[in-house]
Amino acid sequence: MSAITEGDVTALTDDADSSGQRAWIITKHLILFAVLILLWELAARAGWADPLMFPAPLGIVKQIWFIYVVQQNVWFHLYTTFAEAMAGLFFGSIMGIGLATAAALSLRFREYIKPYIIVIEATPRIAVGPLFIAWLGFGFSSKVALASLVCFFGPFVNTLTGLLNVDDEAEEMFRSMRATKWQTFWGLRVPNSATILMAGLKLGCSSAFGGALVAEFISANQGMGVLMSRYTYTLNMNGAFATLLSITFFAFLLFKIADVIDYYTVYWRSDSLMQAKSKKRKAAFLKAIAQN
Amino acid sequence: MAAVAQAVASSKVAVGDTVIQANNLTKAFSESVVALENASFKIKKGDFVSLVGPSGCGKSTLLRLVAGLIKKTSGNLTVHGKEVTEPRADTGMMFQRPILLEWRTSVENVLLPSELLGKVTNEDKRRAMGFLEMVGLKDFEFTFPRQLSGGMQQRVALARLLQTGADILLLDEPFGALDEFTRERLNVELMRIVSQFKTTTLFVTHNIQEAIFLADQVHVMTPRPGRLAKIIDVPFARPREISLQLTPEFNKLVAEVRDVLGGDH
Repeated sequence: MSAITEGDVTALTDDADSSGQRAWIITKHLILFAVLILLWELAARAGWADPLMFPAPLGIVKQIWFIYVVQQNVWFHLYTTFAEAMAGLFFGSIMGIGLATAAALSLRFREYIKPYIIVIEATPRIAVGPLFIAWLGFGFSSKVALASLVCFFGPFVNTLTGLLNVDDEAEEMFRSMRATKWQTFWGLRVPNSATILMAGLKLGCSSAFGGALVAEFISANQGMGVLMSRYTYTLNMNGAFATLLSITFFAFLLFKIADVIDYYTVYWRSDSLMQAKSKKRKAAFLKAIAQN
Repeated sequence: MAAVAQAVASSKVAVGDTVIQANNLTKAFSESVVALENASFKIKKGDFVSLVGPSGCGKSTLLRLVAGLIKKTSGNLTVHGKEVTEPRADTGMMFQRPILLEWRTSVENVLLPSELLGKVTNEDKRRAMGFLEMVGLKDFEFTFPRQLSGGMQQRVALARLLQTGADILLLDEPFGALDEFTRERLNVELMRIVSQFKTTTLFVTHNIQEAIFLADQVHVMTPRPGRLAKIIDVPFARPREISLQLTPEFNKLVAEVRDVLGGDH
């Protein structure tokens, strides 16, 4: 079982280029993006692409304005999907981290659950969606169940890997200092797994949205999945694209929040955070020993 | 600093008494892999003993047996008169890599052994600061491992070893991964520190010069199966200077060790 990591680990490191260089890089990207959008708009207007299937960017922007500001119907659906995804992420990662912790602590437990985990891993999780709806109904809970199942694996695999892949010599060192099993667990294994555990949670964030949406596609009467189905059925492609972009935006936002939490939790990757921590801990330490 | 010295050398054993004794000590990992065979020796309180030999000669195995990290297959091994069955408070170990916890500052790393024993007192904290000063890390007490060089990280590990309060130090090629210059400097400082605390020290290395330069006694070991081939006394007075390694007497001992190890060295 190998850990799942995501590619964007360097996003928040300190060794970025100087701010001037960075600004220029961003400008170049923005120019390229603007050109692409402009080409798309021109293609739509000139009739190169069927405007019924591929609406022009301007039309999509207008539709976003319409559903968010004029009609305001999107907020309700957005709330539904967001709540499902968050609840799914919560339960999925609690289960994942909990089971992984138990598996890391007990070899016997690890061996007992292994075949089940392999079977669940091999099953396309989304395929379980109709079953959940049959069991739990058309409402909120079946969506949360699928979202939980879908985002269970990232946190599970990564937590287990993080807790088990501890340097042998570090463990020997703890043993030579006569540390108990729990002291080694909390003092070495848990902090050691922080980086990879956070990567697992970030993966969970994006899968949670996917799970909630698919469950809504299967059967629901509210949520972004429902909204998107409605728009595509009526060939309101502006609406469908506006919905899709909304989902992307909010999933990205959630991912970025997780990224920031990750950055501050695993502070020993960043020079500036380490410096700030040093200062703080120094002050507290010196104050403590001065008091006798 | 005197208080610190006392805290480490608190054992009631007098210098010259036997603290580690092995009789026909054997460790086999399987029937065909015998890591150490029939080793017998006595180590006296306050002695610095080097275990030298090529890979596979059982020197690390011997160290881990004394540390109580692995169990012997047969024979006897006592520390302070008691059979070794598990890690003990009076032995402390240092490894080739510093193995510092990245999320802790230097002083927090040094305090780890105190923390594992229970509540950390302000006295423990002051001792930790004293040890860091002793190993030359004053002003680096609140730095994180990633911000320190390899040599400095190993100094933190040495301070942590002293913080355990153990009077038997087990060092497994502690400076083996460092460059030649840093290694030489740290060796000299190590000698100064262990003679100050009068600790008994077992030092594993595959470098013959280093083994002789540091030790009162060199245990020469040969591989397949791991055997303690010869024990050589090192007569040079302390403190020793680096230039000692250029003298004919020193090189005579080097030749003697090489002779035991055979042509490859």
